[in-house]
Amino acid sequence: MANSVDNDIMFLDPETAAARKAAAANLQKYLIFMIHDEGAADLKFGINADYVVEIINSYTVTYLPMMPSYLRGVFNMRGQITPIMDFRLRLDKVPTTDGLLLILNYNDMQLGVLVDAVDRMIDIDENTITAVPAQSSQRFVSGMCTIPDLSGTMMVLSCEQLFAHE
Amino acid sequence: MSSNNEILDTYLFENNSLLEQLESIVLDAEGSSAFSEDNINEIFRIMHTIKGSSAMMEFDSLAAIAHRIEDMFYLIREGSMAVVSEPNRPALFEIMFQSIDYFRKEMGKIEAGQPLDKNIDQFLQNINSLIAKIKGEEPAAAPAADNAASASACGYVGDPDFPYGLVVFYDEGCGMENLRAFMLLTSIRDFCGESDVRFLPEGIENDPSTADAVIDHGFFLMFKNKEDREKAIPVIRSAGSVKSYEPQDCKLPAKEEVEIPVVVEETVAAAPVAAASAAPAAAASAANAQANTTASAAHQKESLISVHQSKLDQLSALVGEIVITEAMVTGSPDLKGLTHLDNFAKSARQLRKLTDELQDVSMSLRMVPIATCFQKMNRIVRDMSKKLGKRAKLTIIGDETEVDKTIVDNIGDPIMHMIRNSMDHGIEVNEEDRIAAGKNPVGEIILSAQDTGSEVIITIKDDGRGINDDAVLKKAIRNGIAYPDIEYSHKEILNFLLMPGFSTSENVTEFSGRGVGMDVVKRSVEELGGSVTITSEQGKGMTTTMKIPLTMAIMDGMEVSVGETIFTIPLQNIRQNFKVSNSDILHDTVNGEIIKVMNNYYPVVRAKSIYSLPGGVDDVEDGILMWLDAGDTSYCLLVDELIGEQQIVVKPLPAYVKNFDIKRHGIMGCSILGDGSISVILDVENLASAVFAK
Repeated sequence: MANSVDNDIMFLDPETAAARKAAAANLQKYLIFMIHDEGAADLKFGINADYVVEIINSYTVTYLPMMPSYLRGVFNMRGQITPIMDFRLRLDKVPTTDGLLLILNYNDMQLGVLVDAVDRMIDIDENTITAVPAQSSQRFVSGMCTIPDLSGTMMVLSCEQLFAHE
Repeated sequence: MSSNNEILDTYLFENNSLLEQLESIVLDAEGSSAFSEDNINEIFRIMHTIKGSSAMMEFDSLAAIAHRIEDMFYLIREGSMAVVSEPNRPALFEIMFQSIDYFRKEMGKIEAGQPLDKNIDQFLQNINSLIAKIKGEEPAAAPAADNAASASACGYVGDPDFPYGLVVFYDEGCGMENLRAFMLLTSIRDFCGESDVRFLPEGIENDPSTADAVIDHGFFLMFKNKEDREKAIPVIRSAGSVKSYEPQDCKLPAKEEVEIPVVVEETVAAAPVAAASAAPAAAASAANAQANTTASAAHQKESLISVHQSKLDQLSALVGEIVITEAMVTGSPDLKGLTHLDNFAKSARQLRKLTDELQDVSMSLRMVPIATCFQKMNRIVRDMSKKLGKRAKLTIIGDETEVDKTIVDNIGDPIMHMIRNSMDHGIEVNEEDRIAAGKNPVGEIILSAQDTGSEVIITIKDDGRGINDDAVLKKAIRNGIAYPDIEYSHKEILNFLLMPGFSTSENVTEFSGRGVGMDVVKRSVEELGGSVTITSEQGKGMTTTMKIPLTMAIMDGMEVSVGETIFTIPLQNIRQNFKVSNSDILHDTVNGEIIKVMNNYYPVVRAKSIYSLPGGVDDVEDGILMWLDAGDTSYCLLVDELIGEQQIVVKPLPAYVKNFDIKRHGIMGCSILGDGSISVILDVENLASAVFAK
């Protein structure tokens, strides 16, 4: 498959060829965000930018009864009622105090995820994402990836697991 | 790809509505065992459209069948209903019903993206053999058909009900032939009942293309009575630009000798004279035409436009936003303390009025008559009465009632279920039993809809044998829903019917009694925000009543606060609000609280504790009690304070939250308040069942 792509490239103009090459490398945009962990280094997560709708820093939470504690409530996002999940609580850590809200959209479900900080957006070759060590049972993580500029390692957030109901 | 889907959507939508139309025509016609001229033309047109669009979409099997049916109706159209002899008629209707079912089934497959049934040979064979039968008698009917065709030189086949024809030709190049014809028609209708005259081509008043047909074939009028035609002739004479006219008597095919039409052709020379003298008359009739167009609304085609439902949803959502924003602007905290706002207040009032109107209009767009759903039931009753050998008729009342589109889409199955149930279990098997009970031997099911302003009430009533309480109770005990040593009231026993897994029929039949009983009905109606009740009198029949709110998008609610949280409680559920002192509260044996209101005792529910809210009053004397009422439950809810009454736009719970099933805990949805904050809408009935089920 990769071979045939390379062969084709010979007959294309440079721009298209580059695009093809990028496709072959399977570059994807990822947003890196941080979760503070008391007495330990920050956890670095990456999420495929396709799922990120926007980042919001000002919101008013309305408490919704009968929900799990990690769901802080709902807020009014320009007329659309969106639930807010505290990611620290979801990981059984202490509640987030002053965070940012990542609005994610997965399978037509909209969810605001409260995180401590957002780092930046980077291009990641999905082929460089490696599996989570089989021995450790990770939650909400589908893979590990070294950040290209070698500034650290990020855990790839699995929307499927995050949106799943337990 | 998306444009392709759009074409497919349109195809499915159009064909489904055509099939609905076809079904009602065939059902109507079956009653009289004959298709009228209009029906035949209509069926021909429907089949032609289905054939064309199916061929375009490359659904060849559908096109092939539509083509054969079209062929069959071509024969019938040419020779009128007489070509189908009496013994063949039931087969013709049967084939029509089969083909409607076939098309429906295939449409369903197309919608679901499944491959079509390629094996249509047997079905085609059936149609072909019927065509052969019809053709087999053609020699007898053919001459009549030919005569009919030649009798009406204009090419129209006469209608046996309107035997007295009249063809009018206009001066060449006089223009606007169709409108002239329409004016003429209007003045004829002045003295002749609207149902006593028919005309061709149709649509003359608003379809300019019919002018060509009028030029080529003349304007064809058909009268029921000879006298009317005699009266019409002077009117035609006095109308402008008439070149000639000729009476034509339609022959009932194969019955009478063909009469050679008497052609009375006025000379062209006479026409200008007539035209000149008729000028004022024409002007007068033009004015009449104006007045009559509004009166003869039935004749006008409604100018309809089909819009995708998602666009309407979008519009409703936007209007909802506008309503909220309007409240935000006019109630802005920046305005507090400002005086001299006269002009602002005036504009704000105007804005309020306009947004209210906008809201009403956008809501009305989603309202459709429930008739589409009701008409389908005719077919169910017909099929079941054939299959079960019980004679029954369906009476429909109030099918013009308009309800939200979502309701029409979802209420069909519950209604169908209840009608099947009535046919299967309700109506007696032996007509002797009915006669002995002093009832009409033919069973009757009455399906009615009524709009009360806030909700629509749909009742399904049969005059069958009713519900046998003892049998129901026995069965309930056997299924473990009821306990043998407890006495149940009639109402409670009827409620067992609506419980899951209950079906009174001993044997599973094709139509009902699969064990998935009326609980399905109850659930689907509740999903629409409605409720179901059953009443029955043994030997007299049973009635199912479904109450469904007209629209679920907007409602009047009372805003209340509990700590920081704001709840909205539907106004229709609130009976009374009152302050009480601690001494009014009684305690029961299970740590519950009870209060006496108007000589009745009701449980007290504290909103704070059931929802484990962080804030809120603990002392009853600091809060306020709301006496709530829903379905058959009634209780008092303790809240902090009442904020005020408001019309709110109901927003469904976010998709992610829905999965937690908080609906069961009485949370129906959310609403955005004027200041942009969110209130939680409570479902009084579900809240009660969540609290008292424990």
